[in-house]
Amino acid sequence: MSPAIFQTALYLSLALCALGLVWRVSAWFRLRIGPDAQALTLFERLAAVSRGTASALVSRSVFRVLAALVFDVLLQYRLFVQAKLRWFAHLLIVAGFTLLLLMHALAALLGDALFPGYQPTLAPYLFLRNLCGAMVFVGAALLLYARGRQQTDLAQTRRLSGAAFMALLGLVLASGFLLEAHKIASPQAFDRMAQQFAGTADSAALQALRALWASEFGVAFGDPNPAPDRLEQGRELHRNACASCHSVPSSAFVSYPLARVLGPASGLLDAGHAEIWLLYVHLFACFLGLASLPFTRFFHVLAGPLSLLVNSAAPERALPARSASPGSRAACRALALDACVRCGICDAHCSVAPLARYLGNPGLLPAHKLLATGALASGRLLRPDHENQALQAAEGAFLCTDCGRCTSVCPVGLDLEDLWQAGRGDLAAAGLPAPAQWVQARTAVAWADSLEAEAGPQSYSDLYAASAPLSADRSSFSRCVQCQTCTNVCPVVAHSMGSEHGVDLTPQKVMNLLRLGLRELTLGSRMVWDCASCYQCQEHCPESVRVADIMCELRALAVRRLGAVRPTREAA
Amino acid sequence: MTGARQDSCDVAVIGAGMAGMAAALFAADRGLSCIQIGSGGGILFASGLLDLLGVHPVDTHRPWLSPYAALAALARDEPDHPLARVDTDSIRAAFESFVAALGAAGLPYAPLDERNRSVLTALGTIKTTFGVPLSMFPGVAALQTRPPCLLVDFRGLREFSARQIAATLGDRWTGLRHQRIEFPGSESASELYAAHVARALETAETRARTIALVRPLLGDARAVGFPAVLGLARAREVHEAFAAGLGVPVFEIPTMPTSVPGLRLLQALETAVSVRGVRRRHQVRVRKLAFAAEGAAIDLDGVPGGERVYARAVVLATGRFSGRGLTADREQLRETILGLPVQQPNSRADWHQRDFLAPSGHAINRAGLRIDEAWRPLDAGGKPAWPQLFAVGSILAQQDWMRSKCGSGLAIATAWAAMNQVARALRGTAAI
Repeated sequence: MSPAIFQTALYLSLALCALGLVWRVSAWFRLRIGPDAQALTLFERLAAVSRGTASALVSRSVFRVLAALVFDVLLQYRLFVQAKLRWFAHLLIVAGFTLLLLMHALAALLGDALFPGYQPTLAPYLFLRNLCGAMVFVGAALLLYARGRQQTDLAQTRRLSGAAFMALLGLVLASGFLLEAHKIASPQAFDRMAQQFAGTADSAALQALRALWASEFGVAFGDPNPAPDRLEQGRELHRNACASCHSVPSSAFVSYPLARVLGPASGLLDAGHAEIWLLYVHLFACFLGLASLPFTRFFHVLAGPLSLLVNSAAPERALPARSASPGSRAACRALALDACVRCGICDAHCSVAPLARYLGNPGLLPAHKLLATGALASGRLLRPDHENQALQAAEGAFLCTDCGRCTSVCPVGLDLEDLWQAGRGDLAAAGLPAPAQWVQARTAVAWADSLEAEAGPQSYSDLYAASAPLSADRSSFSRCVQCQTCTNVCPVVAHSMGSEHGVDLTPQKVMNLLRLGLRELTLGSRMVWDCASCYQCQEHCPESVRVADIMCELRALAVRRLGAVRPTREAA
Repeated sequence: MTGARQDSCDVAVIGAGMAGMAAALFAADRGLSCIQIGSGGGILFASGLLDLLGVHPVDTHRPWLSPYAALAALARDEPDHPLARVDTDSIRAAFESFVAALGAAGLPYAPLDERNRSVLTALGTIKTTFGVPLSMFPGVAALQTRPPCLLVDFRGLREFSARQIAATLGDRWTGLRHQRIEFPGSESASELYAAHVARALETAETRARTIALVRPLLGDARAVGFPAVLGLARAREVHEAFAAGLGVPVFEIPTMPTSVPGLRLLQALETAVSVRGVRRRHQVRVRKLAFAAEGAAIDLDGVPGGERVYARAVVLATGRFSGRGLTADREQLRETILGLPVQQPNSRADWHQRDFLAPSGHAINRAGLRIDEAWRPLDAGGKPAWPQLFAVGSILAQQDWMRSKCGSGLAIATAWAAMNQVARALRGTAAI
């Protein structure tokens, strides 16, 4: 390869990588996630992060950061706790790739300096390089397997760029192994090296060397069993000309068998200049990976460790994003978007996952919410073509119960609860508030009117028999004798006794509207929406009417029915 | 029933109305372990007044000053009436025991004597009853002597009008005045609910503000009547505070059901049976009741996964129609749990008289289960349906408790008498 092409490609990919990094890192100071982040200036955020970093590094928390560096970053302890197989696979990739990067890609800088006489074609480096490559390969395969096993019926947060990067990694490994194998087997390569390092030897000696390399080094000359005395002759030349750089390659446990397989075709490959184009493929795949690193999910190799270290700086058990200053908090949230690897462990532990499945809305799940939070911050979620995603995200955000399981299981230690809280604030500000808020923006009568205007006065009993079985079935409320017991025991009615913003109906009146067939009038009622689900009414009802269950069902029904006739987004 | 919860007891009481509560109470007092099945919703419709026997015979509407004299007449005229099967000493003991349990649970009653009392109602009418809560008791004396008296009501409390009572009684009670006040803290509310007012009065500040509103209105009044909203769980404390704060006797007037006194009665009974160790199965229904030689197996719905209760004896206290012990279809009345034969008119045409308000009442209101002398319901052959199955309360035939004004008496007295039989029957058998 010409040095000019190599250098141009290297510097170009380095430049792209650097630009990408600047762009990604700047997002940590640009993205505004959460109402408390909206008013901050870039300078305030930079200052807050610098102050926070400085104070963490000069205080005792530096020890926590160091511990996190060892246990969380290097040993991946959090992942070990959550998923042993993935932890093993991840460790294989990280160790193998790092060693390849240092000893192979940067050999010119590090290999020689650290190990005098370093040659990748010498033992034990022959074996070790194969081992590192195999580790990465096995690790990636295991990760794909684990990912496949995790399949759920809900859509997963996959992106094409992630798969493309994974394919690129495979290409680098495959081309590397093939290149090495081809170079072992290639007669052309042997001849070129022999010319260079043993050019002064006579032709008989060269023949002997060829015979030795054919029988012991796997070069495909097609004469594997020469006479022993010729081998001895060749070995002598080998000791003088080759041995300082070449060990027997059979310890390259991937490339050597591969070379034996390629052997019969090596003449053909030589004729086609395979050595050159395999090298091109290998190098350009590496350069492409380098350039695209900041633009794919693999950016987490930087953001993940950083996030772990930042979070470890916070005092024991305190959630960093909450104790820090608004500026640091904003940076933490934006960093979280990049540190998330979409491993899906949070989804697997999510308390409302059954609800997500029932509603068919993956927007309830943490990994999806994280994407939506980012999309909202970047403005993408509010574009007209993202209306459905916006509605799904809003429903998901407000059905989250803040149980905190996602935060406690996250392998990169993200404070997801804080992110959800911030995201809800942003959704409300963007005109996508919680249903309780948008429903109560109009009166029950106004809602019933718009339902009628939109859909006509037809009956929905059949339509909702499955999704709203209680309110569609007269027998669930026809026993009501209007005795007022539910109203008497209702704490919400009691609370609103002295208030101007009291409930508009009492529970018993809600039941009466149902008895009269006026369900549409109940959907937007304050009573239905202020119901605390304490079940006092249901416990006390002398006729065993499931009052609280019906209230709950009416709210669910209202979200669908009223949601269908309201503008997608209320004016903020 | 694999995987279902299981429990066992001496006696299972099915029903949690007045009769079921009394049966559970008396079972526990007799040392029997008891599981009670069913919710106490029916008690919410009670007024808090405990009738024994107010009217006999029903067609002449004759009121009685002495319930025991009325019981003697009943025994003479209707020997099959369930109340006529209980001797008066047992009735006295049953009421004393029941009222003592309520008092211990925070709902004190005036001492019982041999007389019925006259109590003023929210409609301005006079009701004859036997057991009167202490909070209403000063009203009995006031109604008797009719001194200058003030009736107070609250704006927005729809079920009670002091003015209506005064208008109804005015010509017979000249010193009766009425005043409407604004309930403190609810000036902007258009409607008040009795139970919420009652709870609000349990806070000292609201109570003091209410008393301060009433005191200037007292004038020459020597007693003050309020709707029965003076406290719920701490009613005794609220009542005493009003009497002390106003310096004259204060009485409550029972309101229309469902009322605060009904809620108090329910809470007191729930407390009374619970402190006696009765295991309550609230809001469940009996899916199946099957008998074997050693006891009954009762399968319950409404418990997640279901539950089976084993009982050596079963007491049916499921009531009539509103308690769902009986149900009526187009042809006949049925008993809902076991399909026991129901004593009833021959045809649907005979259920009711032509005159809806006929003084003698309707035949359907005397329908129910026939029993033997040991309170065991009879099967189609006239034999006890099962040796250890008993029935109490309004599901029993031959009585029209609403017109006789004997609802509580029927519940309490039959529960007492039947539980004596249960205890006797179980004495000879081994525990399960």
